[in-house]
Amino acid sequence: MAPPALGPATGGATRPLETDDMQGLVRRAYGDLAFSRYLLLGIGEPAAARAWLGVLAGDVTTAGESADDLQAPCLNVAFTGTGLAQLGLAPDDVAALARPLREGMVTEHRSRILGDSGANAPEAWRWGGAPQSAVHVVVMVFAHTEEELNKAYLARRSVFEADGALVEVAEPIDGRLLPDPGREHFGYVDGLSQPVLRGWPHGRRSQNPSTDAQPPKWSEISPGEIVFGYEDNFGHPSEGPTVAATTDPNSWLPPWGATGRRHLGHNGTFLVLRQLAQDVAAFRGFVESAEGPDNADLVRAKLVGRWPNGAPLAGPEPTEHAALSRANDFGYHDQDQFGLRCPIGAHIRRANPRDSSKDAPDKALASTKNHRILRRGRPYGLPLVAGSTEPGEQAGAERGLVFVCLNADIERQFEFVQHTWLTNPYFAGLYDEVDPLVGGPPPAGGAFTWPAGPVRRKLTGLTSVVTVKGGAYLFLPGVRALRYLAAVQP
Amino acid sequence: MTQTVFTVITEVDPERVGDLEQVLARIGPDLRTSDVLPLGDFETLHFASLVLARDATLPPTLIFEHNVDGSLDAWLATLVARASPALDVLYSNCIGYPAGDDGELKQAYLAAHVVRPGAYHIGATGRTRARIGQEAQLRQGIEDYVEAEMTAGRLPGDPVAIRSAIRAFVAGDPAFAWAKPNHLQAAREQLGAMWERVRPVLPLVILVPVAVVLLPLLVPLLVGWAVVLRGKELTDDVRQDPAGSGTVEALSRTEDFVAQNHLASVIPVKPGLLRAVTLPVVLYVVNLSARVLATKGTLAGIPSIHFAHWSRINGGRHLLFLSNFDGSWESYLGDFIDKGHAGLSAVWSNTVNFPRTRLLVEDGAEDGPQFRQWARAKQCPTAAWYSAYPNATMPIIDNNTAIHKGLYGAMDKEEAQAWLRRL
Repeated sequence: MAPPALGPATGGATRPLETDDMQGLVRRAYGDLAFSRYLLLGIGEPAAARAWLGVLAGDVTTAGESADDLQAPCLNVAFTGTGLAQLGLAPDDVAALARPLREGMVTEHRSRILGDSGANAPEAWRWGGAPQSAVHVVVMVFAHTEEELNKAYLARRSVFEADGALVEVAEPIDGRLLPDPGREHFGYVDGLSQPVLRGWPHGRRSQNPSTDAQPPKWSEISPGEIVFGYEDNFGHPSEGPTVAATTDPNSWLPPWGATGRRHLGHNGTFLVLRQLAQDVAAFRGFVESAEGPDNADLVRAKLVGRWPNGAPLAGPEPTEHAALSRANDFGYHDQDQFGLRCPIGAHIRRANPRDSSKDAPDKALASTKNHRILRRGRPYGLPLVAGSTEPGEQAGAERGLVFVCLNADIERQFEFVQHTWLTNPYFAGLYDEVDPLVGGPPPAGGAFTWPAGPVRRKLTGLTSVVTVKGGAYLFLPGVRALRYLAAVQP
Repeated sequence: MTQTVFTVITEVDPERVGDLEQVLARIGPDLRTSDVLPLGDFETLHFASLVLARDATLPPTLIFEHNVDGSLDAWLATLVARASPALDVLYSNCIGYPAGDDGELKQAYLAAHVVRPGAYHIGATGRTRARIGQEAQLRQGIEDYVEAEMTAGRLPGDPVAIRSAIRAFVAGDPAFAWAKPNHLQAAREQLGAMWERVRPVLPLVILVPVAVVLLPLLVPLLVGWAVVLRGKELTDDVRQDPAGSGTVEALSRTEDFVAQNHLASVIPVKPGLLRAVTLPVVLYVVNLSARVLATKGTLAGIPSIHFAHWSRINGGRHLLFLSNFDGSWESYLGDFIDKGHAGLSAVWSNTVNFPRTRLLVEDGAEDGPQFRQWARAKQCPTAAWYSAYPNATMPIIDNNTAIHKGLYGAMDKEEAQAWLRRL
């Protein structure tokens, strides 16, 4: 089979997306459900855990439910490689898992490329870093209110704790949307530049319908880039975990080509989870002192490439801020090649360089699209409120981002974005500087180049304002795959 | 100055493979800090590596890669004069290495085992290792000067005036005396570069007329070649060795410590006449285009390669690839797939298990997932590696050169502004 030429997705024959078999997180970030809890679980009794999973499989929220039918609390579940082994996946099938899932997030090499050194070193993580806090299963609960969330959580916990199926290996993370929805703790509207899966059913509810009609040129990717079993950017169905056919007597899983194996990955994806603590006071201190308090918002915008309300610095002429607050249909090559508007090292330009290139913007955009991730995270902790007496709102309290992203190939997508773009001191010809937000510990001097005429400016003294507190690579299975896992016989 | 790219390929005494492995473990993985073979003091060396090829399809082979300024003879003489003890420790495990203290014999041994690449690419063409270092210092000096002037509020507002100030600063600093334009040397370098581009084309002066005369004969031959090729392409075994997970883990253990990485592979050429004929021709064409076209720091649009070379070894039965590149393996392979796939397929489709191609250049390396799996499965661990400037990426080296070159000659406001954007 000839792979199609790389380039803006060409349409073409792909099988329809089986949303009823996908977990809901693939389709939505549950933006209407302000409260959430990420349960960090270890498997105690495998047989009991499988029985628990059999029940859970009937309760998970699927991507087939439309926003209006969504029954809160919503529930999704994902497994680490060791979790799958613990649950009873055959040793040969565990050995055949993609390397990142099998090895997990914490290896010496991965820590190097992810920037997990110094204050970010796994040894200091709250969870996921040391073997004794190994996470096997992550259950994600989303609810309208804290009461609804607690009720669902306590009910679930009493079930899996009662028969020793699962144990909590660390305190769960409470993800909570901020009072100003869509923002993260540093004050920016987050999650604007998302890839759009070709063929994805429309009908998403949005506060700003005008941006739903994004020209696919900038954001459309093949569905297999995110969901296993669909055509990827190279024209193949993307391959998720597979298992020996003999382990699936009930035929929960479809065959994987002519290999004699079954596709456990079908309608699933890999989920990267990282708990990122944000030092809001340090960040505010930096942006307010860098160029004086009057320029704090400009510094904020230059560091990220968008104004706090989301309006991009590149793209349409930045005249009407509010109207542009969610704009995502822009490139860099034609309008801002040298970064005079959006600095080359700004967060959104590093995380998604679009068509940035000296000469071949179309090729550059096609290459960029081989490294996209679908983000599904949300903030945790209370916002920092100056002068507040509520302990959770003070500077010392922990707050941050539950970073969650979905991708079919962790090495080619998440790790590439992190290593080649965000933590790379030499990104796009820059010297010795990293992403100002999530680039890991900055090189000495903490520089940030601010292209300007006649000569660039340089901000200095940037410190690490984000600290990794935990992380795991997980498999987010399809619904039938959950049934397979619940029935697997070790 | 000309750079020379070559490998020394020697057969290891089968009885002493274990000893050599121990030696390599002691020498590697970083030749900058190795106390057995410290290469940091060699002012003309850009990159070097040691690889022990242990594929079951060839005798155990030691590959010593050299990318140097100047001539091969001069480099070998320097190496023998200054690193004989280390060479003894290494090569005493190889067949035919002369015992004793005779440096000339040792140099002759190395020279006798030199393999020149069939095709190679150099990113920083014409720049010596010393010049690359000097230009980096120049850039830093200018950056610091501009920063200080800006802080003091002394920087003029006009690009032309700023450039003049920078020029005056550089001219006044004796540390940058080397940066003054040397017209004679520049002319010589330009001539040299031109010769480097013309030389590989010279054989065409004879080959092309001969080909024209023989056209009636060549056309059926070419058609026959294409038919046989297509037949083979449809039936060649393209099953991938499942890249041993342990292997990839071992490979990644030495990767991503600095801005650059090294990649080595030794792959059996597919048996038969077709590949034996096709591969040298493809390498010749690739080399020709690298010499003539890829002189601006990029190869087929790939901006991240310092030195890369292919050599046919073991009597043409294996293809050796060595590359010194910027960024991770993952990003390098991404560039291969997105930008360099046609040329890479043309070369590597002549080796075993390569993903299925169409008429030599289509598909193959375009198939990202298959190509990545193949490349990892065929990669040899690099036992020891040396880079003279491990945190200088190709775009940075080129930018430093452009900053240096831009110091001289007249510039209008727009040109001066474009030059200042390089800071």
